[in-house]
Amino acid sequence: MKRILYAAGFAFLLLGAHVKLAELRAQSAPTPAMKASAIQVLMIQSDEIKLPADFQISLYENLIQQLQKQGGFQHVYRDGDHNAAAVADLVVLHSTVRGFKKGSEMARNVTTVTGKTSIDVHCQFTDKDGKTVLERDLNGKVRFIGGNLRATLDFAKKAAKLSHDNFAARPVS
Amino acid sequence: MVFRSMQTATIALLGIVGFTALPTLAQQPDTGTKVVEYMGLEGVKAKSNGRLTLEGGNLQFTGSNAKATVPLHSIEDVVTGNDSQRVFRGTIGTLTMFAPYGGGRFLSLFRSKVDTLTIQYRDAEGGLHGAIFTMATGKADGLKKEMIAQGARTSIPIQEDAGSSETKPAAAKEKKP
Repeated sequence: MKRILYAAGFAFLLLGAHVKLAELRAQSAPTPAMKASAIQVLMIQSDEIKLPADFQISLYENLIQQLQKQGGFQHVYRDGDHNAAAVADLVVLHSTVRGFKKGSEMARNVTTVTGKTSIDVHCQFTDKDGKTVLERDLNGKVRFIGGNLRATLDFAKKAAKLSHDNFAARPVS
Repeated sequence: MVFRSMQTATIALLGIVGFTALPTLAQQPDTGTKVVEYMGLEGVKAKSNGRLTLEGGNLQFTGSNAKATVPLHSIEDVVTGNDSQRVFRGTIGTLTMFAPYGGGRFLSLFRSKVDTLTIQYRDAEGGLHGAIFTMATGKADGLKKEMIAQGARTSIPIQEDAGSSETKPAAAKEKKP
């Protein structure tokens, strides 16, 4: 009888601890910075790092494509689009390349373990007035299959998910 | 008898030659540079094959099932570069990776050099777009020269750009918005 009581007490304690942990996890989860109906993507900057033009364009175009694909924003505006000025709850994504290592597709295919291409990008989200609402470092890489430009797609997927999780006003369409 | 059979054979041969020559003649009007649109053009599927032509102050991409036109005056930057790609690529290229005894690895050693042409342009709303094309080696510089002559702009002069324009100089980049 005593043993049953001990077991029940232990189970009760475990349940309580589990509930408390879940509460703490919910509290520590990043709260959405702000909700925005539209996002504007600025051209990728790479002042410190020498980035090939095709990588710069590929990062930018993939980012726009992935943001449109993820949904959640009514509009995804490009750099310089005049229509973005009329949107009140606009979030602007500034991306700066902080690191770049161009690998080799041939080396990847032949050796499997070498030839990785990676890009490190600092993403800064600002509101319309230029106030920073979120900053995050993301990276894109290609380890095995695909050309070097595939690393830009990897980054774009991560950046689109980050944008969606933090700013999307409506669920994924 | 022999003469008649020879005559018949000659007529048949001429017929075959004529039949095969017709499509060749039909392809003659194709002008411009044969390219692969890697990404970026509005309304064109990525990795589409087509031709780039310069007509009436426009850069025109004509693919098998899509067409796109970019006014040359709206092009803010043209940069050429070079890269290499697998000879066996696409679905076949992926399948070769499963070839036994490292056959796929061996086949991946066969690579072809390509030129890349990267453009940045603005649409009517002011939005910045970018597009990447790949083409046979040695074609990009000539095309860039023609584009600049007809009104496109570049951040890297042709002399510097020729050969390997892997990266843009920082000074050139600062000019951009």
